[in-house]
Amino acid sequence: MLSSRLLPRSAVRARSAFRPSTLPAIVRTYASSSEEKDLVIIGGGVAGYVAAIKAGQEGMKVTCIEKRGMLGGTCLNVGCIPSKSLLNNSHLYHQILHDTKNRGIEVGDVKLNLKEMMKAKDTSVTGLTKGIEFLFKKNGVEYIKGTGTFASENEIKVALNEGGETSVKGKNILIATGSEATPFPGLEIDEKRVITSTGALALEKVPESMVVIGGGIIGLEMGSVWSRLGAKVTVVEFLNQIGGPGMDAEIAKSAQKLLKKQGMEFKLGTKVNSGDNSGDKIKLEVDSSKGGKPETLEADVVLVAIGRRPYTAGLGLENIGLEVDDRGRVVIDSEYRTKAAHIRCIGDCTFGPMLAHKAEEEAVAAVEYIKKGYGHVNYGVIPSVMYTHPEVAWVGQNEQELKSQNIPYKVGTFPFSANSRAKTNLDTEGMVKMLADPETDRLLGCHIIGPNAGEMIAEATLALEYGASTEDIARTCHAHPTLAEAFKEAAMATYSKAIHF
Amino acid sequence: MAASFATVCRVSTRLVSRRVTQGAAVRGFRTSAALPAAQNFTMPALSPTMTEGNIATWKVKEGDGFAAGDVLLEIETDKASMDVEAQEDGIMFKIFEGDGTKGIQVGTRIGLLAEPGDDISQLEIPADESKPAAKEAKREEPSQPLKPTENPPQKKAVNPSKPKKSGQKAPKLAYPLYPSVEHLIKEHKLDESAISEITPTGPQGRLLKGDVLAYLGAISKGRPSEIEARFNHNAHLDLSNIKLAKPAAAPPAKKTDKPAAAEFPIPKDLLVSLPVSLAAVIEVQKKIQDNLGTFMPLSTFVSRAAELANDELPLAGNFKPTADDLFNQVLGLDKVDPKVSRGYYMPQISALPPSSFTGVAPKPKSAKVDIIDFLAGTVKRSAPKSLRTSGISTGVNTFSLTVSKPEEKRAQAFLARLKVVLENDPGRLVL
Repeated sequence: MLSSRLLPRSAVRARSAFRPSTLPAIVRTYASSSEEKDLVIIGGGVAGYVAAIKAGQEGMKVTCIEKRGMLGGTCLNVGCIPSKSLLNNSHLYHQILHDTKNRGIEVGDVKLNLKEMMKAKDTSVTGLTKGIEFLFKKNGVEYIKGTGTFASENEIKVALNEGGETSVKGKNILIATGSEATPFPGLEIDEKRVITSTGALALEKVPESMVVIGGGIIGLEMGSVWSRLGAKVTVVEFLNQIGGPGMDAEIAKSAQKLLKKQGMEFKLGTKVNSGDNSGDKIKLEVDSSKGGKPETLEADVVLVAIGRRPYTAGLGLENIGLEVDDRGRVVIDSEYRTKAAHIRCIGDCTFGPMLAHKAEEEAVAAVEYIKKGYGHVNYGVIPSVMYTHPEVAWVGQNEQELKSQNIPYKVGTFPFSANSRAKTNLDTEGMVKMLADPETDRLLGCHIIGPNAGEMIAEATLALEYGASTEDIARTCHAHPTLAEAFKEAAMATYSKAIHF
Repeated sequence: MAASFATVCRVSTRLVSRRVTQGAAVRGFRTSAALPAAQNFTMPALSPTMTEGNIATWKVKEGDGFAAGDVLLEIETDKASMDVEAQEDGIMFKIFEGDGTKGIQVGTRIGLLAEPGDDISQLEIPADESKPAAKEAKREEPSQPLKPTENPPQKKAVNPSKPKKSGQKAPKLAYPLYPSVEHLIKEHKLDESAISEITPTGPQGRLLKGDVLAYLGAISKGRPSEIEARFNHNAHLDLSNIKLAKPAAAPPAKKTDKPAAAEFPIPKDLLVSLPVSLAAVIEVQKKIQDNLGTFMPLSTFVSRAAELANDELPLAGNFKPTADDLFNQVLGLDKVDPKVSRGYYMPQISALPPSSFTGVAPKPKSAKVDIIDFLAGTVKRSAPKSLRTSGISTGVNTFSLTVSKPEEKRAQAFLARLKVVLENDPGRLVL
C-alpha cells in the first residue's frame, strides 16, 4: 500500500526511459494471401454476419467481406430496422394527431420534425451495426471492408474500400450477398422521385402524393409511413390481393379495409404499363390487368416495391462456373452446397423466402454443416410479419394454399373486439385465425391481423414446430388480460368453442 | 431465519411421511394378492437438495411397535438434524443402518417396516431396491381414478432423485405429454402399455392428439402419418424444379476438412531469467541505515522496482481484449492503444550461483503439468514467492519468472526493466 502510494513520482520519470522498447511496430495487416482461412464469407448481411459469428464461436478462422462499409446488410441499414423505426414513430405521430381525444388526452399543436425522425432512425441503425462490429471482434472474426470476387475456387480477390487490393483463401467459402430491389422497367430509379425502399427511408420531405407500385409487405409498410406523415398514397397491385401470395386472403382483405380507413387508396388487379418522370409530376399509365380501361396516375414520388432479386453482380460466379437459375438465384443442394462442395450459399441470393430470420437460420445451419456435418432449418415453420397498423403476421399454410392442394382443414377465428385487453386499449381491429386438420386437430397455419400480431405469431410458430393441436394451445394457460388470450380463444374456437365470443 | 428453517423441516418431514404412506399403499395391494411382506424403509430426502445424510439415532428398536406420529429416527444432514415421524401405526421390523451411520444416499434402504399385528417371523423380506415399489406405485395410478389430483404431485415431490439412482433405462417419453394427449389418455383410461403401442407422428417422435385419436379409432388410421409426411415435405426447401441443369450429384464427400478433435493445448511453462546485480541496492540500503537509521529490507526495493517494471508491458502473444476493450474500440473510445498493459509479475530471486550452504537452491521446474494450470486458465504470473534473502547475494542474482510461452517477450521486458531500475538508480525507489 505504502509503496504504491510512493511510486507515482518516480514512475513518471522512469517510464519515459522504457517507452521506446515497449512500443512494438504497429502494422495493420490483412490476411496474407498465404494464410488459408477455415471459412471466408462474402457479405456481411444477416446471413453473412450470423454465419461469421457462429463460425467464430465454433473456433474456426473466419473472414467476412462486406462492401457497404457497415455490417448488417439490407436488414439493418436499409430494411427491417430503419423501416421499423419510421413505422413506430410515424404511428405515434399519427395516433397523437387522430387518436387522443377519445382517450381523454388533449394535445396542443402537433408538428412533425422529419429531420429528427430520421435522426432517431439513424441512431437505431448505427447502434445496431456497431454492435455487430463489436460481436465480430469478440468472436475473433476478421472483417474486410471491400468487394469480393472469386479468383479461383479457393481464393477471393478483394478490392478494398479504402483502395488497394488483397486476397483471401478459404477452405470453405460462403456466398451471402443478399438481394436488391427489382427495378421497374421503363422507370429509372433515382432514389429522389422514383424510389425503392432505400429511398423511401430517407425522403427529405413528405411528398404530397405517392404511388406505390406493388402491394406487398414492403410497399404497404413504406406506404403506411408516408401516408401517416401526410402523403396521399395510392397502392397499385397487379394481383387481386395485397400482402403478397403468402398472406391469407381473408386476412389480406381485412388488412386492406383497415389501411383504406387510414387513408390509403388501393388499385388491385391493376397493371402499370409505363411511366414518365420528365414532368413535374411522375405519370404512370395503368390499366386493369383484366383488360379494363386505361388510366393515368400522377404522383410526386413513385415507390417501386415489386419485389427483390438476388444480388450476385461482380461476384465472379462465372469465373468458377457456379450456376444460377432463371431468376438469378444461386443453385444449391439441400446442404447449401453449390456445384463446388466447399462453396455454399445462403440467404436472399438463393432459394426460399427473402426474410432476415430465414437467412439467420440458414447461416447457423450452414456453419453446422461445415463443422459438424449436420444442420437444420424447418422451412415449413418460418413466420412472416407485416408491421403496418394493425400488424399482420402468419406462419404455416394459408387457406387458399390448403384449398388449392385439396387438403381438408377446419377454421377457428376470434376477433380482437371480444378481447378484454384490446378493448381497454381501444385498439380492437383484427382477429386471430387458425387452420387445423379436421381429424387430428393438428395446427396447419395461423394468421393474425391485429395489435401485436408480430409478437403473438411466435406462439403459433412454436406450436407448429412441436406439432401441437389447437386443443394443446387451448389447454395452455394464457395470462389475463392479454391480447394473447385472443390466440387461445381462437384455438378453442377451432377445436371446440370459444368462451368469450 | 429460524422460523423459515423450522418450516422447511416441517415440510420435509411431511414429505417423508407421505412417502411412508405411499409405500404402505403399495404394500396394501400386495397383501391382498400374496403373503404379507415387510416394506422397505429408505433414506428419506428431507429437502429437495438433500442427496445423503447420517443417521443420528434410532428412536425405536427392532421389533418395537410405533404409532402414527411417533419419532422413528433422527437424521442429520450437513445443514440440520431432523426427526422422522411415522405416518401410520406399524412395527419396526429390521434396522439395517445403525446409529451413527454416515453418508447414506437418499433412497438407500435403512430398515424394514411391518404393519401392526403382522407376525414378524413370517414376513417376507422384499428385495433391496427402492425402484420396484416406485414402479408399482406408478402402475397403480390409473386404477385409482378417484384421487387423480393427489397422485402426480406426490410422485414428483417424493421421488425427485429416483430415476437417477436406479439402474433402469430412461422412460420412453422423456418430455411431458401434450395437454390434449394427456386429456384423451385420462378420458379413455389408457394405461402405459397402451400408450406405448401408439405410433407417434410428431416431431422427434412426439405423441400427438391425432395419434391417440387414430389409436382409439376415432379417425382414420393413416391420417396422422399423412400429415406428418406433408409437414416433413414442407420442412425442406423446394429445390425440385430449378430451371437449370442440377449440378451433378454432389459427391458424398461430406466435408473437405474434418477438423481433428482439438486437443487441449498443454501450457508449457518457460523459465525466463536475467542476472541482476543488487550491489547498488545494498549500497543504498546501507546509506539509508546510516543516515536515517531505518532498515529498508531488500524485498521493499524489489517489490517497488517490480511495481514500476510492471507498468505498460508489451502484450502477451495470446492477448485477448476484454469485451469492454472491444466495445470501447467500436465506440472509438480507445485513444490509448492497447499495445501495452499492466503486468502482474513478481520475480523469484536466487543468488548466482546458488549457494548450497546458505540457502535453498531454486527448485527445478517439474515437467509435469499440474491440473490447476488447466483449471486456472492462462498462467498470468508466477506465484509471488516470498523472497528468500538467504539466497540473495550482494553481487549478481538471478531474477526469474515462470510464464507461459506467449508471455515470454512480456516477461523479458519486465525483467530488463527491473534490472535497469535496480542496478542504475535504486535510491529513487525509496525517495
